[in-house]
Amino acid sequence: MYSWIWRHLPGPIAVRVALAVVLAAGVIALLLFVVFPWLEPLLPFNNVTTE
Amino acid sequence: MGSVEHLGRGAGRISGDLGDLVPSPRPRARPAKRDRTQTVVRGFGEALITLGMVVLLFVVYEVYVTDLISAGKQREAAAELDDRWSDPTIGGGERQDHYGDFAEGQGFAKMYVPKFGADFHFTVVEGTTAASLEIGPGHYTDTAYPGEPGNFSVAGHRVGKGAPFNDINLIESCDAIVVETRFSWFTYRMVPLEEEKAGWAEGKGKDPRCEGVAPLGGAYEGLVGQRIVLPTNGGVIAPVPGNPEASPSAGEMAAMMTLTTCHPRFSDKERLIVHAVLTEELDKDPNKPDLRPAALEETG
Repeated sequence: MYSWIWRHLPGPIAVRVALAVVLAAGVIALLLFVVFPWLEPLLPFNNVTTE
Repeated sequence: MGSVEHLGRGAGRISGDLGDLVPSPRPRARPAKRDRTQTVVRGFGEALITLGMVVLLFVVYEVYVTDLISAGKQREAAAELDDRWSDPTIGGGERQDHYGDFAEGQGFAKMYVPKFGADFHFTVVEGTTAASLEIGPGHYTDTAYPGEPGNFSVAGHRVGKGAPFNDINLIESCDAIVVETRFSWFTYRMVPLEEEKAGWAEGKGKDPRCEGVAPLGGAYEGLVGQRIVLPTNGGVIAPVPGNPEASPSAGEMAAMMTLTTCHPRFSDKERLIVHAVLTEELDKDPNKPDLRPAALEETG
């Protein structure tokens, strides 16, 4: 998977590294600001109210 | 050579992995099926590692990132509340708190726990939806408001999201929880624990801080300062905590405050409940802006 991505990144090695960092940052941001906020209420961690 | 070749497939595999570098035609002659297995296994391994990283990232999110997000929202709510309190056109001329028309998620009071330090203060917002609790401690909409007879009940997060109620298990009997509204200060103090009730008057009750905290009788029999209940136990926020059927007359109804949070940490199995009783009421004086309840100095 990762080697496949690496092979498909264009340009010289410096550009590839930069692209890889951007990709990773994008995935992390997507997780932190979209996926986790959606997922969190569905998990039994943090309910603080009584019914 | 032949015998070396025979020693094991492993040796051949290594040169196969380095196939691009070693100009040996031999490994390329291996069946293509083998490469596919390798790709699948490696892909599976990478997926598992990635999943592990995502779970770790979720922990970081839950414990740290939500704190940052909530701190911003709490600051906004506090600033909005300060603006409203300092605006003389709101609420007319009379110096009287009016409750009940707050929007969900709107701040309406501030709470302090002096024991946790002078910097422990949170703006309490209306409502206990997930969105409201992200801003700060949330008031159960059906319960009383600060200073009113009944049970001013507030829920707060214990892990992440600012974790306002992280340490409320450390509150001891007679420790103050101070609530500030626009025109008043209300000092609530935690009521005795079960094991402190016997001999309260001779024991801890002698502490000058404990004035007005004696074990309550009547409908309030059985009330303790701290307990752990199941999430289904909604009675803890009833007007008479833990006794939803009781309906004492207005004169017998005490002004209580209840905090709820999750227990144990990182779990929603149970709820940690803290009950406190109103012991002091102090009206703000526009001529003396520094007038604050003495309980706020009980830092430690």
